Amino acid sequence: MVIRTYNEEQQYLEKISSCAWKIKKGFVPNMKVEGVFYANDALEKLMFDELKNSCHSQGFGGFLPGMKQIANVAALPGIIGKSVGLPDVHAGYGFAIGNMAAFDMGDPKAIVSPGGVGFDINCGVRLLRTNLSEKDVSPVKEQLAQSLFDHIPVGVGSKGVIPMTAKDLEEALEMGMDWSLREGYAWAEDKEHCEEYGRMLQADPAKVSMRAKKRGLPQLGTLGAGNHYVEIQVVDEIYNKFAANKMGIEHKGQVCVMIHSGSRGLGHQVATDALVAMEKAMKRDKIEVNDRQLACAHIRSQEGQDYLKGMAGAANYAWVNRTSMTFLTRQAFAKMFHSTPDDLDMHVIYDVSHNIAKVEEHFVEGKQRTLLLHRKGSTRAFPPHHPLIPVDYQLTGQPVLIGGTMGTCSYILTGTERGMLETFGSTCHGAGRALSRAKSRRNLDYTDVLGALSEMGILMLILIKF
Amino acid sequence: MMEHEFKYAVIGGGIAGVTCVEQLSALCPDDKILLITASSVVKAITNISKVTSILEDFCVVEKPSVYISENCPNVTVKQTRVTNLQAQKHKIITDEDEYEYGKLCVCMGGTPNIISKNCSYVLGIRDTESVQEFQKRIANAQRIMIIGNGGIATELVYEVEDCEVIWAIKDKSISKSFIDAGAAEFLLPQLSQDKQSSTGSAPTKRRKYTIDGNKFRDIGHGTGTALGPDWSEGLLLKGLDKISHNVKIEYNVEVEAVMEKDEYRITLTDAEQDALSVWPVYVKLTNGTVYGCDFVVSATGVTPNTETLLKNNKFEVAEDGGLKVNDKMQTNILDVYAAGDICSAFWNPSPTWFQMRLWSQARQMGSYAAKSMVSHTRNQDILMDFCFEMFAHVTRFFNYKVVLLGRYNAQGLSTNYELLLRVTKGKEYVKVVLKGGQMQGAILIGETDLEETFENLILNKMDLSRYGEDLLDPNIDIEDYFD
Repeated sequence: MVIRTYNEEQQYLEKISSCAWKIKKGFVPNMKVEGVFYANDALEKLMFDELKNSCHSQGFGGFLPGMKQIANVAALPGIIGKSVGLPDVHAGYGFAIGNMAAFDMGDPKAIVSPGGVGFDINCGVRLLRTNLSEKDVSPVKEQLAQSLFDHIPVGVGSKGVIPMTAKDLEEALEMGMDWSLREGYAWAEDKEHCEEYGRMLQADPAKVSMRAKKRGLPQLGTLGAGNHYVEIQVVDEIYNKFAANKMGIEHKGQVCVMIHSGSRGLGHQVATDALVAMEKAMKRDKIEVNDRQLACAHIRSQEGQDYLKGMAGAANYAWVNRTSMTFLTRQAFAKMFHSTPDDLDMHVIYDVSHNIAKVEEHFVEGKQRTLLLHRKGSTRAFPPHHPLIPVDYQLTGQPVLIGGTMGTCSYILTGTERGMLETFGSTCHGAGRALSRAKSRRNLDYTDVLGALSEMGILMLILIKF
Repeated sequence: MMEHEFKYAVIGGGIAGVTCVEQLSALCPDDKILLITASSVVKAITNISKVTSILEDFCVVEKPSVYISENCPNVTVKQTRVTNLQAQKHKIITDEDEYEYGKLCVCMGGTPNIISKNCSYVLGIRDTESVQEFQKRIANAQRIMIIGNGGIATELVYEVEDCEVIWAIKDKSISKSFIDAGAAEFLLPQLSQDKQSSTGSAPTKRRKYTIDGNKFRDIGHGTGTALGPDWSEGLLLKGLDKISHNVKIEYNVEVEAVMEKDEYRITLTDAEQDALSVWPVYVKLTNGTVYGCDFVVSATGVTPNTETLLKNNKFEVAEDGGLKVNDKMQTNILDVYAAGDICSAFWNPSPTWFQMRLWSQARQMGSYAAKSMVSHTRNQDILMDFCFEMFAHVTRFFNYKVVLLGRYNAQGLSTNYELLLRVTKGKEYVKVVLKGGQMQGAILIGETDLEETFENLILNKMDLSRYGEDLLDPNIDIEDYFD
């Protein structure tokens, strides 16, 4: 690959609006379409800083800057429209997180890539409403938190509370939320307010490996660590009363619960298995990519179809997971307030996926086309009157749940027509880059530690030089 | 079935035994299950209501059987001691009675190694009974000595307040079995700081374990159930003086002799005797130093509790004294399984797993042994629980969260590995072990938020060589990257 200076790179970038930049063909080799990314001033600075740092270190491989990744995706066979970076796009495995890319199902060369979905398949957000207010919950905050922890195990090595056998897992992979409904862990109306009604029909448990199932079995109904959470939230501000009311949000101070989780170990294994299989098939099918992590396969190939079926199974698993946690959360609240989930009106407002690939109909240059959309770190945002969204949201548009990180707010948005045209109905998934995570990690001091370690007689020691 | 016949029996009321019984009960609600325990039963608590910010109220039951029987009606609990096992006849013989079993799981744990068995000033600390004894004694102590370098010793050194502590370890760095010298160096400054207020008031994200009931019959020395993860919570471990931490560490030493006051005085000259500060007991270390103190704590590990079992049965025993078990938790004797501290894992383990006598493994083994027993009864195939694929343990040392994953100290990798390190003084310590580009293990100290990401990277067996040392670059959100 050509190594350019920062100034040279900038020749390929053009600001096309107050919040959008174009990435021209040639930024990386073989671009079939252009790239575009959306950023305000603050995010723009981060994007360009990332690019600058990468130019200075003169390296490729390792971590590529988000801009380069968007462009590398634009070089994939069968891509249609643009390779889109939603706000807060940042580096990820293969595809950047917050990169949406659509592929023409009618093009035999079009590909599917696990890197475009992510390892945590169907990582997503679900929002529950309650009829409680902040003043009901504030005085018992700690007890409520403990109650949640008692019901929902967290952390590495924790075991699920809802009993699950291998047979249950098979059925969950195939049936998604329909399994939960059958077993009594879900309300019938929960399905209505979930993408795909909580079940992708093309799922095939046979395409999920034994190892993936083994990783998934103990994790069902557990939260996991890292950026997953169950968070008790309070409505801070209502910008559109009509839309909010349709969702069951009536007033400021209303208590909601947000669940952010995915398929975890099972999804990781499904993705890993597919990457391995596809890397092998790429030579056979003569597919060339700019970055090895963009391992992919023709959509209609055996590997492509196997992946999509396995991915759908993992997606179903994630919905069962979020549903299990919904069930446990309802139990925890009911116990805490000596009531029932019914009386507390703990309905699901909506459930969105932000790591998934879907087959959707979109208009491209005036013509209707069937596309395979990769949304990684990106949320579907369908406008009013779209046939795939629930009846009660037809007038308002699909609710879009944007979860914040710890300490920042979360947002509920609705889909728009403009979004449908510009980004095939996709938007970002998280509320702002958590720069604060890196804050505590500056001021590195390892001199004492070094001394102690060298005594251990370690043969090879690689240090971070910050 | 008659009153003394049980489909499944479990000996031992610690975490391994209780988990085994709970799992058996869940899988076979119609079968008769027996739990024999020499002391009070360890119980897992899920319902805790807060009385004040520090005091917690939870169900205390008079008899240990009530708790288990309430939740598992097909389980009978007998608090009695096993005197003999006739495995060929499938018979357990106790102080009071005889029982027949279909399948048996022994979870009798280990007995603490005490450096000086006959000295009343040396206290072994391994089970809940000895902790209570320790609590009594520390209230009147100005200086104590702690011998041992494992998890209990490490936690104890930190928990004790208002008392001088001499910590004698045989290694070059503290907590050797858990962390490496670098991490030890990272943690040490905490010992000279004031102890932070107990985290007992914050909600805990994990099932809590405690001992069932305040009253228990003292059946015999050394038959208590092992300490679980919350053993020090709510305990007042304060001495006489008004100092937060005062810890002196002696490295590379072992105990040469333990002498009571008079025993030691005799060995000194008259002048030395006059100058001597008086303590009830004196400890001479292998480096020649002699310390006087109020009492000595021996936290030097355990020996598996196999004596009773070996009386009449030819169990295969490993070098460390534990009963050998295969990948189905079976011993070499028909219908006898073993789990927890008493067993030694003798199957070919996954490259990122190894046995360590921890409460978390006791729980995993207890659960898996139950599933194994049931599957054999039903003639079904069983796959090993996934928890045996990768070692994972979470604990707290010196008020830091410590996560250990896989081969976190490159155990068994000889010299064929690389380390990646990232340290922020006082905040976090991240060490990654790589071999052939694949992550084999990691130590995470502090709130790193990396445990799930690293667990996935280890299990995915991904080739990470292209990132080199950038893998731990704090400016990259690595959890997000691999999400």
